[in-house]
Amino acid sequence: MSHLATLGWTFLRLSLMCLGGGLGVLPEMERQVVSVHRWVTAREFVDGYALSQVTPGPAMLVAVFIGYRVGGALGALLAGAAMFLPTSALTWAIADRWERLRGRPWAVAAERALAPLGTGLMAAGVYTLARSALVDQLTTAYAVAAALLLAGGWLPPAAVVLAAGLVNWLIAR
Amino acid sequence: MRQIRTFVLTRVFGWIGLISIGGGRAAYFHDALVVRRRWLTHEEFLQGLTLSQILPGPTVSNLTVALGLRLRGTAGAACGALAVLLPGALILLALSALYFGGGVAPGVGVALRGMGAAVVGFVFVTTARLARGAMRGRGAPWIAALAFLAVGPLRVNTLLVILLAGGLSLWLNRPGRRGAKHAA
Repeated sequence: MSHLATLGWTFLRLSLMCLGGGLGVLPEMERQVVSVHRWVTAREFVDGYALSQVTPGPAMLVAVFIGYRVGGALGALLAGAAMFLPTSALTWAIADRWERLRGRPWAVAAERALAPLGTGLMAAGVYTLARSALVDQLTTAYAVAAALLLAGGWLPPAAVVLAAGLVNWLIAR
Repeated sequence: MRQIRTFVLTRVFGWIGLISIGGGRAAYFHDALVVRRRWLTHEEFLQGLTLSQILPGPTVSNLTVALGLRLRGTAGAACGALAVLLPGALILLALSALYFGGGVAPGVGVALRGMGAAVVGFVFVTTARLARGAMRGRGAPWIAALAFLAVGPLRVNTLLVILLAGGLSLWLNRPGRRGAKHAA
């Protein structure tokens, strides 16, 4: 059971480090689940994140993917609950009071101060994914093409991601 | 505008969760709850979004809880969050079982390589879009660059970076600081 306790504790800590979105916590998540605990390989980590991007719900459901690897359905439930429950409860406890607090100078200051930190962490998340996913010229070309298509707003993200998978499969045949 | 029935709220949130695949999910919530149903004003929505970004935790679940709470109290928060999270969690659970159980055809592995690469392009665009609105505070570009370098290439512990760079940024933007545009 001790590995399940470690799993839950790890994802609880990761959830508390999600600042301005889950992408920013990816570098730390990769460090924990790939390097420290060796639950999945770097390749599996990227695969799991790609799957969580093309399935409904937040990308942080990747916790379910890693939890399953560690402890089956129970591990998936535990990792998912650790990722979403405590922070949701915190939001529940604060949301009502926030209406009165948000005009306070320190609340405005906190918003301004934390936004660029969240951006920097997200950029680090992009870097971490790129290091594992962009292994040659072809994969780099997919990333550039996807960025251009999405920046133009011509196609929904899931369609672009699935299309890249299809193209790579067709090329490899 | 308030007190939407729990069942209706659960159905609407569940539908948003199902169709909002691949990021930019806040935009789907805005479209469904503010533009099309007028359950919330734009201001109320932004308030919930800001809170869910400041508080720790995945933004989508925080946003769901904040909006659900506003629309239908605690029941709305709980049912809304479950409606957004559960369908995707079950689908991903099934896919995980296939993936780790070796039930995935070799071609799927090849497809996943392409998908993972495209996701990099996608998260790059998302980050660039959000970056523009995040640079209003004092020293903002430096804080962002510092956090990126430390957590990305240098692989420093993220919690340490949040505490140090966050502390520095809060100090730079502290209320009442001379020249701060937002002095109350």
